[in-house]
Amino acid sequence: MRSSKGKTKDDTWKSEELLKHIKAAQGDHTDDNDKKSREKKRHKDEASTGSSDSREHRHRERERDKERERERDKDRVRNKGKERDGDRHKEREHEKVPKKVKSEERDKEKKQEKEREKHKNRDRDKEKDREGELDCSADQRARNKDKERNSNTERPTNRGHESERHRDKDKERDKKKERDKLQEKAKEKDEIGDQRSKHRQRKDKVSNCASENLDLPKDDKNEEKERKHRERKDKEGRSTENSEESKEKKRRSSEVKDEDHDRRYKERKEHGPRDGHREKRPKERKEPGQEGRVEETEKKRRERKDKESKEDEKKHRYKDIKVGALELTDREQGHREKKGREKKEDRERKHKVKKGKEEKERQGDYNEEQSGKKKKERRSVQEVPNERRPKGSTVEQVACQEKPTESLSEESTSGLQSTWRSSWIGLNDDDALVEGEEIAMDSQSTIESSNYEDDFEDYEDDFEDDECEDEEVEQEKEEMPARQRAEIEEIKKAISAENEQIRATQTRSNRKTYEEEPKRDFEISQTSGPSRGTFIDFVAAKQREISSKVASKQKKRSVELLRLIDLDFSVTFSMLDLPPLNEYDVYIKNFGRTNTKQAFVQCNEDNVDRESQTDELDTVEKWTQHPGEGSLVCGGVNVSDASSSVATNVDSRRLTNFLKSACQVIAVLLEEDQAEYQASQNIQSKTASLSVSDGCSQLNTNLPFLHGRKVLCLRFSQVQRQTLLSVHSLPKEPGVAQLASNYIICVWNIWEPSAPQKVLVCESEVQCCCFGPGNAISVFAGTVDGSVIAWDLREHSIIHYSLQIGGQEWILRNPTFSTDGVLAAVNHSCAVKAVDPVSSAYFDNHGAGLSLLASQEGSSGLSFQLASLDESGLLNLWVVVELQKADLAGSLTDLGLIPGGKIKLIHSSSINVNSFFPRNLMQLGPPQTLSIRFLPSDPNHFFIGTDIGLVSHGTRHGLQTAPKLYKPQMNSVRPVQVTCIDFCHFGKTMFLVGCSDGTIRLHSVATDHPILQWNESTQGRPIQTVLWALTRPGMFFVLDESSHIYVWDLLQNDSKPVAEESLQLDRITTIAILGDPEKPSASSGLMLAKQSGAIEIQYLKKQWSEPHLNELETLHYILQKTI
Amino acid sequence: MSADKLMGGTNLRARVYPRTQCRVTPGGAEVRRVAVVTEPVAKVGKMAENTYNIRPAFQHRFKTEIVKGKINNVLKEELSNKSYDPEEIPNMTRKIAEAIKTEVKECAFERYKLVVQVVIGEQRGEGVKMAARCFWDADTDNFAQEVYVNDSLFCVAAAFGCYYY
Repeated sequence: MRSSKGKTKDDTWKSEELLKHIKAAQGDHTDDNDKKSREKKRHKDEASTGSSDSREHRHRERERDKERERERDKDRVRNKGKERDGDRHKEREHEKVPKKVKSEERDKEKKQEKEREKHKNRDRDKEKDREGELDCSADQRARNKDKERNSNTERPTNRGHESERHRDKDKERDKKKERDKLQEKAKEKDEIGDQRSKHRQRKDKVSNCASENLDLPKDDKNEEKERKHRERKDKEGRSTENSEESKEKKRRSSEVKDEDHDRRYKERKEHGPRDGHREKRPKERKEPGQEGRVEETEKKRRERKDKESKEDEKKHRYKDIKVGALELTDREQGHREKKGREKKEDRERKHKVKKGKEEKERQGDYNEEQSGKKKKERRSVQEVPNERRPKGSTVEQVACQEKPTESLSEESTSGLQSTWRSSWIGLNDDDALVEGEEIAMDSQSTIESSNYEDDFEDYEDDFEDDECEDEEVEQEKEEMPARQRAEIEEIKKAISAENEQIRATQTRSNRKTYEEEPKRDFEISQTSGPSRGTFIDFVAAKQREISSKVASKQKKRSVELLRLIDLDFSVTFSMLDLPPLNEYDVYIKNFGRTNTKQAFVQCNEDNVDRESQTDELDTVEKWTQHPGEGSLVCGGVNVSDASSSVATNVDSRRLTNFLKSACQVIAVLLEEDQAEYQASQNIQSKTASLSVSDGCSQLNTNLPFLHGRKVLCLRFSQVQRQTLLSVHSLPKEPGVAQLASNYIICVWNIWEPSAPQKVLVCESEVQCCCFGPGNAISVFAGTVDGSVIAWDLREHSIIHYSLQIGGQEWILRNPTFSTDGVLAAVNHSCAVKAVDPVSSAYFDNHGAGLSLLASQEGSSGLSFQLASLDESGLLNLWVVVELQKADLAGSLTDLGLIPGGKIKLIHSSSINVNSFFPRNLMQLGPPQTLSIRFLPSDPNHFFIGTDIGLVSHGTRHGLQTAPKLYKPQMNSVRPVQVTCIDFCHFGKTMFLVGCSDGTIRLHSVATDHPILQWNESTQGRPIQTVLWALTRPGMFFVLDESSHIYVWDLLQNDSKPVAEESLQLDRITTIAILGDPEKPSASSGLMLAKQSGAIEIQYLKKQWSEPHLNELETLHYILQKTI
Repeated sequence: MSADKLMGGTNLRARVYPRTQCRVTPGGAEVRRVAVVTEPVAKVGKMAENTYNIRPAFQHRFKTEIVKGKINNVLKEELSNKSYDPEEIPNMTRKIAEAIKTEVKECAFERYKLVVQVVIGEQRGEGVKMAARCFWDADTDNFAQEVYVNDSLFCVAAAFGCYYY
């Protein structure tokens, strides 16, 4: 058993190296092979030196027992120690050589051969084969040994280089060399010792036995007993020890089979010891006894695991439990290795004590010695067997005989496993390097652990021995057997106790391993030694294993992946935010109807107290006048009237309109009453002064401010036929001082003859005047100095000057707008001869504007064109604009506008009428233009009377149309003024032209020559005015300068007037026709302005006023006949 | 390094599972919560093997809009015209969660581990705030969430997809 259990020193340090290597390999997996090999070599060197040194160290320690605890410190001062050790070694060697020689010589050659077989990994088989044969052929064996050495001592050779660095080592080596030289004689012995030291403890024991047998025969028996006892123990509880041993064998076999693996294996092993030395040993050494127990428990657990691992060995790496265990085993390995070494040393020291202890020490130096003296050794090896063989001792032979049987049995039991393992290792070799290494390490560790286990047991034995030794360092060997017996007993007890403990510690240790797991994670994945069936819960373990395996896998993966992946805390996603309902919503939700909303709620907020008047109100009725024109603007009566309250509801605007019209009617009625009264009273009431008239009335021009003024012009409104303009010249003697220099225009309503409606004043002489086209609310006048003046009759009296004249207040209206000096660029530069509104056909067709209301309403849209013609032939067209808003403060831009005025003129265009005249007429100088008339049916055409007897035909825009000129019947151009032009109100294509030479021409628009011309009707007196009758188409009135009025009726007589009147008493200055062509039945008459300033109305007789049947057709017929 | 180094598909976010908090203002409304977790599926009916992919292909990405639609359909189907019944709702919650899970699975988001969480609560006017926070890889992982509210209950369903590297 022991022989198989025992482990060579090579193996131990191989395992250490392995551990180291694995660590290194794990440090960087992808190391270069070169680097690896280099490292390995170094490791080997260091490991070997270290181990040897430490071993030597320990020698010293044992000598100095108390220093054992401080071994770590001494490790540091190893170098120093080495020298000392070396010295000591020398001494010891010198002392012990003789003993050794004796003992060694006693060893049988055969046994040595066996030992070598077991020891030498590769050569064993060969040697076995040769066993018999090679007895004589020592050379071959020596060669084999050399091979072995070469294989085993690759490191030492390498270390040679390393050692140069380490002088201590060199020295040591030198010393050793010297020593070796000195001990050449004892080489054989040394060699044997070396080899033996490499061999298993069993062999050691055997050697022990041998030595003991020699020295103390009792030892042999003890040894035997002990061995038996252990076998028993093994059989009892540790059947798996076989497997450990077998594993080692397997390992060997695998090494034999797979040299590569073997080499790696060794290399790896080499790493182990050093790490173990440095890291774990010191701690554990402090409490060897406890450690021992722990190791025991660990051992057993490991064994269990080993069994498991056999089930699933390929997944060793990820078994956390095992990892944990491995950690322990790691530690234990180191520990054990040392201890084992120590044990070995101890044991060997014992042996040495018996035989010569230097053997062991030299083991450490063995390689060096070999490297140093290969040849010598070879020789010596050759010699040794030769020497030894003859000296075989019977005891050893017996031991050896026993051993083979045991080993054989073990081998047979573990044969399967070994083969499996080897094959497995081979497989793994094919696999990835790391794995292979790891797995190899696993297997190695199991082996080692098993070995250590054994070592440990041995150690315990040896521990006692050590103590004994410590106490009695070089004691007599007779005491040993007794002590050993006691030790055996103790061991038995201890083992049984440990077995008990396992149960207790099992769970705990498991827990411990879990705790240790994270530390170890992936550094080492190993499985542990052989398994023992007793206390193992396979199912749980398996589950644990699987789970941990998975966990570790995932962890590994996650570690690798996490480098590539960034995990982050995403922003917080708000998944639901349901605000709490307020009370109202809850109420509605619970008690309301769906999809309805309660908009208002009755609450007492608006239930407030308010004061109210309950007493009867005292009311007093008052009236007020606005604007307050008199001193009395308000007053009241105490009587409250229902009617007055009704009156308040009246539409004030309608009332105003009604009142205006009603006032006029009433005024007219009052006037008539008055007139009748006057007529009845006054003889002055005139009878008809004209033959054509049957009555007459007079406008009251006997007013202070009109007194003494000649009437220059009379003009009826086209729309309101009863409205008359009368232009009064400057008075001959000033009646009213304020108005002395002013021309006055009076606006009359002929039905209110007592007083003019409005009085307009103008500073310059008014040559002509007219009403606006649509209504009678605006009056325009042209003056001698070339300005065009406008009045707005609607203006309030407030803005005008009021004058108290003759006990009556008159409003004297100044022009609303005057172009005087304002529009200088376009204004007339000479006397304005005519102003005429450019009326559209609409206004002409408009029915008689007798309806006052209608005219009032029509007044709103006041915008039309006005034409003004001056003497020089400049025809200006103005646009009359009514401003929306009057400005009482006056306008900055419209300088001609009176403050508060609303009508202004805007110059539209200018037409030079002279351009219409032919050139030949222009040679005499531009003709004077005297009058203008627009064609009633088409205001585009205008007809201008000149001072050369011609009437020019022009158009405001567009092409000029023929005829350009309307000429008299003969000698076309004469210095004859065309004094007046008047269009017929019927048919509208004929017009009468009165000339200053007394000729009257009747023209048709279409022809330039007159239809009719009457030259001598007035006896050459200049014609002042020609007027068509408004009601009869064939009738017209002519006034000449000598105040003769001629009445023409073309139906009766187309050659001379039908009637002629002469008023020489009070000369007639101008006449106007009253009447309405639309209402022939209405009164029509002649307005006669007298030189005295009186204005008379001569009402025409029915005969003259009422039209005949088909008069117009008859007229046309007559005219055509005349042509 | 051999392939089996990467053995064992790793859900790096075992601890990543969305942490949802639901806070209800006091008032007595019940809230039922159910979360369903699926295993990552490579293809329908196949467990995810390890790959070297650490990013899903675009067509296999977890698409929020699609999932939203599915969740919406499920919620409408299951919860329309339902009122809160404390007896029935736990089952309902589970049923919805399962339905959503099944629906989303059909979307074939390969290698996605799905977590479907359904919360149904009674609506009595209390305020509810729900928020989720995830420790994950924002590149690959996503979630979709829909809310269904009617007169008597509210339901929040969220599906989280964690990519299984």
